[in-house]
Amino acid sequence: MMRRAAMSFAILSLATAAGTVRAADAATSYTADPTPSRLEFIGVQAGAEFKGSFHKFTAAVDFAPEALANAHFDVQIDLNSLDTMDKDRDKTMRGPDIFDIAHFPTAHYVTRSFTKTATGYSAAGTLTLHGVTKDVPIDFQFVSAPGGAKLEGTAKLKRLDFGVGQGDWKSTEWVGDVVKVSFSLVLKPKP
Amino acid sequence: MPNQKIPPTRYSAVAQLFHWVIAALIVTQFVLAWTADDLPLGMHKLALLARHKSFGMTVFMLAILRLLWRFWNPPPELPASMTPIEHMLARATHIAFYVLLFAMPLTGWTMSSAKNYSVSWFGLFTWPNLIAPNDAAFDFLKSTHDYLSYALFAIAILHILAALKHHFWNKDDVFLRMLPLTKLSKAKSERRP
Repeated sequence: MMRRAAMSFAILSLATAAGTVRAADAATSYTADPTPSRLEFIGVQAGAEFKGSFHKFTAAVDFAPEALANAHFDVQIDLNSLDTMDKDRDKTMRGPDIFDIAHFPTAHYVTRSFTKTATGYSAAGTLTLHGVTKDVPIDFQFVSAPGGAKLEGTAKLKRLDFGVGQGDWKSTEWVGDVVKVSFSLVLKPKP
Repeated sequence: MPNQKIPPTRYSAVAQLFHWVIAALIVTQFVLAWTADDLPLGMHKLALLARHKSFGMTVFMLAILRLLWRFWNPPPELPASMTPIEHMLARATHIAFYVLLFAMPLTGWTMSSAKNYSVSWFGLFTWPNLIAPNDAAFDFLKSTHDYLSYALFAIAILHILAALKHHFWNKDDVFLRMLPLTKLSKAKSERRP
């Protein structure tokens, strides 16, 4: 009995020590290379999906697989760079009833904590969009590459949680509430 | 010849059903399109155009079935009393209708793809995009779709006037044989005092 307790204590100490060492590992700081990086979303209009993207955004990514406690993402999205491959729709979406970019030109995503999952990683974080801040978890994969890393992932949010869609656009009959977000970031070490 | 049946004197019930359902859908299509054209991009326009696309794709599917049905069940012959010019005109009108029954939905479907608005069928499934989003292609296809709709409108007017002329002027069966629950003139003449 005593021996088992001692053994447990030893293991616990080792694990704690290892944990401390790991936590002390610094996460590498990256920024997303704007040219090859993508930030896209899929909305639903009249029952059919449509894809759009944001061409301008910045992503500061602090990440190392062995230092999740020190990981941190900070993403700023310029909503004016919205592109759904239809100018009329882009104009409507920038307008007062949808993104209202005159008042809310950017969206901001910040992570809070990270966990390892079966397929990659999951981050808890908040998205500030249209003046509303809400939790939006993201799932992603992180792959180290020569001279940087690749970060690919997805998120799902409800546009109406953020008040994106006023007046007629509050209805979900013709424009779906759920919006899927996907991103593919080519990360370069921060200079 | 697909079959050796005696030539029919009127359109089959199935052919009549195709004709009237598609005719009703086309009238609906014009009303939806004209209403939507006057609206700014908004929920109401989106809703009208969504229905327009669903009905249009319905016409497309019905047109395929109708053509197959017509192939296996040839329509009744036109009356011998019609002149060769009238025969030719009637035939040309009908061919033009069939061409438009395909060309209208196909240009509509392609222009939706070009504008990155995929076509859903009543929200049940989404048709694949035929081309990648492209502004120039959209403008071209939209004007083609519009011009074809004017042609369809003109041919439909000609078709209706011709049917009425056959009924009231020539007093033959050309109109009646596309109507359900009517007796053809042969039966009518037997009942005549």
